[in-house]
Amino acid sequence: MKNFFPKLSLNKKLALLAFILGLIAIFAGNPYRGSSVTLDTKELSLIVDKTVDHVSAEELADWIIQGKSDFKLLDLRTEKEFNEYHIPSAELVPLAELNQYPLLRNEKIVLYSEGGIHSAQAWMLLRANGYKAVYMLFGGLEEWADKILFPKLAQNATPEQTTAFEKMKEVSKFFGGSPQVGGATEEVSSKKPMPKLEMPTGGSAPTAGKKKKKEGC
Amino acid sequence: MNTPFFKYGLFGDDVSLVIAFVIGIGFGFFLERAGFGNGRKLAAQFYFNDLTVFKVMFTAIITAMVGIYYLSVIGWMDLSLVYLNPTYIVPQTIGGLLLGFGFVIGGYCPGTSCVSAVTGKIDGMVYLLGIVVGIFIFGEIFPLVSNFYNSTPMGQITLSQLFNIPYGILVFAVVMMAIGGFAAAEWAEKKLGNKIVEP
Repeated sequence: MKNFFPKLSLNKKLALLAFILGLIAIFAGNPYRGSSVTLDTKELSLIVDKTVDHVSAEELADWIIQGKSDFKLLDLRTEKEFNEYHIPSAELVPLAELNQYPLLRNEKIVLYSEGGIHSAQAWMLLRANGYKAVYMLFGGLEEWADKILFPKLAQNATPEQTTAFEKMKEVSKFFGGSPQVGGATEEVSSKKPMPKLEMPTGGSAPTAGKKKKKEGC
Repeated sequence: MNTPFFKYGLFGDDVSLVIAFVIGIGFGFFLERAGFGNGRKLAAQFYFNDLTVFKVMFTAIITAMVGIYYLSVIGWMDLSLVYLNPTYIVPQTIGGLLLGFGFVIGGYCPGTSCVSAVTGKIDGMVYLLGIVVGIFIFGEIFPLVSNFYNSTPMGQITLSQLFNIPYGILVFAVVMMAIGGFAAAEWAEKKLGNKIVEP
C-alpha cells in the first residue's frame, strides 16, 4: 500500500487527482455567489475619485454612432419623460424596478437620468449587487442636450473651438439635434424642443425658430 | 482580480487584439506540438486508431472545469461574470453535426486547419479556403436562415440549471465521464485500432 501511488503511471496519477477533486466538489458547494454581497468601500471610493465610473456624452454619442452593441443603456426617468425623448437604444428602467430588471453581471451598463442623482444612486445599487461594469452618463440628459443635441459656438471662439464645433455639428445632426452659432439670443428659455424619436436618421433638425439658448455668453 | 478584463476597460481594443494574438499563437503552437496539424492523426480518431484528440479535448474540459469551479468556490473568481453562450438547441445541434461531418471528411476542425495551413500542408490550406468560402456563403444567405438560426432559444442556460442538480455533483459526473472515456479510449485503441495501419 505504501508503494501504491509512486507505482502508478502519470496518466493514472492525474486521473486519480481528477477523481479526488471531483469527489470533493460534490460537497464543496455552489460556485455562484448567493445574494449576500460584500462592498469594498475603498475600491468604490477610488473609482469615484478617479471618475472612471463616468462616460461622457461625447463618448456615448461615439459608441452609438459606431453602432457598438456591447453595452446596455438604461434610462432611469419616468415613462412619460422616456416617451417624450430618450437617447437612441436606451431602455426604460424606473429606479424602483432596477432590482428585478434582467441584467447580466458581465454586461457593460450605462445609466442616465435627468441630472446625475438618480443615476448615481442606481450606480451604487448595482455596484453593491456585484455588477462591475456600471457607468453613469456624466451630467445626465441635461449634459447630453447641451453637448450633443444643442452644442453652441461662442461668437469669440478660438479657431480650435471652431474646428471642434464643426465636428460636433455632424454628431449633433446624427442625433437630430440643432447646433447653434453665435452668442446672443433674444429670449432665454430653459425649454428646448427635444428631437423626434425616429432618429437617428440624419437630417431631421427641429425648426430654427424654436431654438433657444439656455445661457448667455 | 476578476474575469474578464477587457469589458471593464482594463485595456482597450488595441491591447485586446495583441493579447488575442499572443493567445492564438500559443494555442496554435500547442496544437501543432500535439500533432494536431496533421489531418491523418485527427481523422484517425474516427477509426479508433489514435484517440489523442479525444483525450486532449476531454483533459482540457475537465482541467478548465475543475479549475474554474474551485477558483469560484474559494472566491478568487466571479463565475457570474463569465459570458455564457446562449443556447439555441435545434440550430446548434445541426451546426454541431455539420462540423462533425466536415471534420471526418476533411480531417480538420477550424482551429487545426489553420495550424495545418501555416505549417505548409496543402490539404490544410484547401480546408481553410473552404472555411472562408463557407463563411462568405453563410453571410450572404443569412437573411434567409436567420429565423431558423434564432429558433428554439433557451437562453444562457447551464446543465446544472436545466436538470436542477447541484454544480458539485455535475463536476463529479463529468470527471467520472472523462475517466471512463479515457479508459474506453485506451481499450479501443488496443482492441480496434490495429486494423488500419497508419501511414
